[in-house]
Amino acid sequence: MISLRAVTKRFGERTLFGGFDLDLVPGRTTVLMGRSGSGKSTLLRLLNQLERHDAGTLRCGELEIPAGLPHGEWQRRTLQLRRRTAMVFQSYQLFPHLSVLDNVTLAPRVVRGAEKQAIEARARELLAQVGMAGAADRFPARLSGGEAQRVAIARALATDPEVLLLDEPTSALDPNSTADVVAVIADLKRRGMTLAMVTHDPDLGRLLADQLVELPTLS
Amino acid sequence: MAHVASLLAFLLLLVDGCALFAQSLPQRYRETGEIRWGADAEGGAPFVFVDPNNPRGGEVGFEVDLAAELGRVLGVRFRRVQVPYESLVQVLDRGDCDVVLNGFEATPARRALVRLSRPYYVFQQQLSVGAKFADVRGLDDLVGKRVGVLGQSQSHQLLLARPGIEIVVYESNVTAYEDVVNGRSAASLADVPIARALRPMFPQLRDVGEPFGAYHYCLGVRRSEPELQRALDAAIGALLADGSLERIYRRWSLWTDAQQTLGEPAVAYAYGDAAGSATTAGDGAFDWGMAMALLGQGAMRTFGISVVSFALAVLLGMAVALWRLHGPRPLRWLAVVYVELLRGTPILVQMLLLYYGLGSIEWLQLGAVEAGVLGLALNYAAYEAEIYRGALLAIPRGQREAAMALGFTTAQMLRHVVVPQALRLSLAPSTNDFIALFKDSSIVMVITVVELTKQYQMLANQSGRFIVLGLVTSGLYLAMSLPLAFLARRWERAMERDHA
Repeated sequence: MISLRAVTKRFGERTLFGGFDLDLVPGRTTVLMGRSGSGKSTLLRLLNQLERHDAGTLRCGELEIPAGLPHGEWQRRTLQLRRRTAMVFQSYQLFPHLSVLDNVTLAPRVVRGAEKQAIEARARELLAQVGMAGAADRFPARLSGGEAQRVAIARALATDPEVLLLDEPTSALDPNSTADVVAVIADLKRRGMTLAMVTHDPDLGRLLADQLVELPTLS
Repeated sequence: MAHVASLLAFLLLLVDGCALFAQSLPQRYRETGEIRWGADAEGGAPFVFVDPNNPRGGEVGFEVDLAAELGRVLGVRFRRVQVPYESLVQVLDRGDCDVVLNGFEATPARRALVRLSRPYYVFQQQLSVGAKFADVRGLDDLVGKRVGVLGQSQSHQLLLARPGIEIVVYESNVTAYEDVVNGRSAASLADVPIARALRPMFPQLRDVGEPFGAYHYCLGVRRSEPELQRALDAAIGALLADGSLERIYRRWSLWTDAQQTLGEPAVAYAYGDAAGSATTAGDGAFDWGMAMALLGQGAMRTFGISVVSFALAVLLGMAVALWRLHGPRPLRWLAVVYVELLRGTPILVQMLLLYYGLGSIEWLQLGAVEAGVLGLALNYAAYEAEIYRGALLAIPRGQREAAMALGFTTAQMLRHVVVPQALRLSLAPSTNDFIALFKDSSIVMVITVVELTKQYQMLANQSGRFIVLGLVTSGLYLAMSLPLAFLARRWERAMERDHA
């Protein structure tokens, strides 16, 4: 699974973390916690290279991404990494021009190029799994926050990722919606999905974590 | 001493003679001491032009000399006013010049609109043919071929009377010849003085057959000023009688035996009193059905040109915007240069370069409509590119990250996530540009395309019916642009709803 070895990330003069190690364990849930500004989201975004590290190495199975790769090679390896991971964002980031169903089928269609009917069947299955089966033809603008986040989870699962990265998945939601989304995440955990989640909610962290990583606040 | 005295007496007599003509001038010209003559100096040899070999010499031409002589005889100063050839009649009517003196041919259409003086020059027509058309021996061989003429000229009238010839109308004889040289037209018909004057510029052209016909240059005067016309008639008569006309024409190598007919009553009084009757005939003869059909055709052409060029502008504009934001460095620079170059230079210049500039290179030669469509497309693409660039930048970063996190390549991300959303955002501003293009498309008239505005201009120039034809033309433009404006507003509102 994904591991970070001696990874350093800097923003200008400031070192966010230096020589950091992290291992995601297959089938387990890793929760990253820390105050705002501690770099927990940045650490999560390193795992699919939405942020690049300045030193150290990222490994995902046989795939290795050391710091300082030339751009072309970095791009090639990152594409492979991203096709084995998926991400859920705090602000959902559903594609507003596509229906719920098309949001879920887009990546398998574009990236995998698999057969259309199979993709659609799988997408409807995933929507049912997150409790959004009836919303296939609606558009994102017509969904509540909790509904949108559950669709976003279905979209992330549609490419059959090995790891699901969740970046503060409930912090934009009201309590009821939060409960719905947490139920979906807990269900994924039960099914044996490898998860990595950032949250600032200690109760949620303790509820789901097999491994809890507390990031120190930098002075 | 006696000689000197008689010479003085003779000179006094001359001065006296001049005063006599001056008395015949209407009061206002005697008071201002000036008559403004309208003429077009563009491609104006040998009438009035700036000699390229002596640009500091100012305006020269046989009509410059003629105006000076007329002024001398009438006791006023003739001051030239620049007027586009095709608008001479309208500018005269508006009162921005007092007479037209510009190789102004006595065509029936003009006789209906203005007073003509007695003729001061007799000219013929000359057909000139391009190198590729060796088989053309005369007007009869031109059926089915493109032939260029100066708009509203005698040559134009002659060709209109011969069905089957594809007439291409130019604003200058120079550009008409230009298109014969580069092979777009087979031939051009022009007045002999023009053909002779421009021949050195176009040695590749071949004059076909003998000059033919006998037509007249006259001064044009407002219909409300018969006294001015009579004064000019008298002045021309005096210049004819004292040999001044012949001197001028010989100096400009324009003298022909036909000029001897200028004194014959049949020529001298050919147009003077006919003006009134020709006017009523002209009024009744205006064919409204034909005019509407021609405006309809013009509107169809405007529509076609606008739609095709805008479709191209949208595609190219999107490509340029994507190059600028996501292309490799050289392409990025190229996109910046493209946008700034095309936005920062007049579309008129771009059009002329594309048509006449590239027209001289055979394998880059475009037809007029093609060049017009391409010119509009290239120009508007620059504006569309900026709209799309703005729209692309307006798509939140999170959308790009969501696509990247799903394993999309940059191209896939742009194609499936960013561009579709950006297109939506740019729909309303882009439609507004489309409306603007409908109106800007009239610029293609400078490269001989007859679309709605040009058709209106030609019909109005022929008939003087600027108001009614202008209203119909405006109505046609509105019929094309209003539905678009309506759509743009609807899209704008839909966009606000989605983002609320």
